[in-house]
Amino acid sequence: MHLQLITLTGVRVDEDIYEITAPTAAGPISVFPGHEPLVSVAIPGALAVRYKKGDPDTALEYFAISGGVIEVNQTTVRVLVDEADHGDDIIEAESQAALERAMKLKAEAKNQVDIDHAKQLIDRHTVRLQVAGLRRHKRL
Amino acid sequence: MASTQLLKSRIRSVKSTRQITKAMQLVAASKMRRAQEATKASAPYTQAARELLAGLSTRTSVLHHPLFEQRDVKNRLMIVIASDKGLAGAYNSNIGKVYVNELRADDKAGIKNKTITIGRKASQLAARLKDTEVIGAYEELPDQPDGSELRAILDSARSRFEAGEVDAVDVIYTDFISSINQEAKVLRVLPAGFEDSPQPIAAGDVTYEPGTAEVLDGVAYRLVGAQIFQALLDARASEHSMRMIAMKNASDNASDLIDDLTLEMNKARQSAITQELAEISGGVEALSE
Repeated sequence: MHLQLITLTGVRVDEDIYEITAPTAAGPISVFPGHEPLVSVAIPGALAVRYKKGDPDTALEYFAISGGVIEVNQTTVRVLVDEADHGDDIIEAESQAALERAMKLKAEAKNQVDIDHAKQLIDRHTVRLQVAGLRRHKRL
Repeated sequence: MASTQLLKSRIRSVKSTRQITKAMQLVAASKMRRAQEATKASAPYTQAARELLAGLSTRTSVLHHPLFEQRDVKNRLMIVIASDKGLAGAYNSNIGKVYVNELRADDKAGIKNKTITIGRKASQLAARLKDTEVIGAYEELPDQPDGSELRAILDSARSRFEAGEVDAVDVIYTDFISSINQEAKVLRVLPAGFEDSPQPIAAGDVTYEPGTAEVLDGVAYRLVGAQIFQALLDARASEHSMRMIAMKNASDNASDLIDDLTLEMNKARQSAITQELAEISGGVEALSE
């Protein structure tokens, strides 16, 4: 099964994989080869990729994604999201600090635009932290 | 004729100006390359969104979606993209010309308009004009945007369009045709266009979760976002390429100026020497008499 993870800044993953777990509006779904054709709305969360059958959970690769669309057919999975950060690129302490900054920003926001902006930042960093946490768990 | 001292100091100052313009030219060249790569990198996203939309159109009437709704244009929103900094040749004034023309045309047609500006030069221009209402000004966007900067703009454009507050949203930006050819132009992003989408591939029996409406909403929103993002990247690439050329011209002019000044300085020096010699020989002549 071929996975394409496409973001605004370029194609992040373009490889053959065995399994992908993605957060969707109707709850997380796992897709294996031969899945029926499906198009679903992705919500911000952690995307997990298993490259080969029999890979242990510790070998899963995680991506923090923002909202988007997932397209599945028999042979390919296409994930179209605004942003995707690889788990390895996320530094937990930095995300934690960024989240705190964003919360402070929200508390101090004076108008709707600032509040919306702060909310976006909070969502983004919450997801990143979640992914960083997942990675740490698996590695233990 | 100016003194050698004076000419020397002028040559020094022109030389240091040339050094600066030369450095700016090189910086702009490397930024342009990066911006060009970013433009290419975002193409698959737009392509995938268009394909999804084409697939959806076989299942549901796309044109009934609020983002596709065609209305008589009475109010419109313009998103003007210019640069934060000057010294980019005609880049900002070209955008300004197109923008002012659009405003005049709206004025004649009795269309009210609102403006969102990106870049300090655009907001400075819009602030001077009286016939538009500026509802947002964005400055100092990062050099390599990742799309998140535009979400606030996109959301505000979308909610205004859906609420009927504006009937069309246009982006005024500089299209990057090649590194020597850029053109300021107007791109309509809302109502979303559907004409240039690929033919739907026979999709078979696709399940849409949670429903076609939600998926369509997600795809249409992303397509509009991708268009604005692409316009921003194009504008960036154009800016850097125009700055590069402007700075190259400035460096060339500085070199010419240095040549001229050097020639003048040599002439001045030579004439001073000649004069001194004439005075000496004049003095010798006077003594021998």
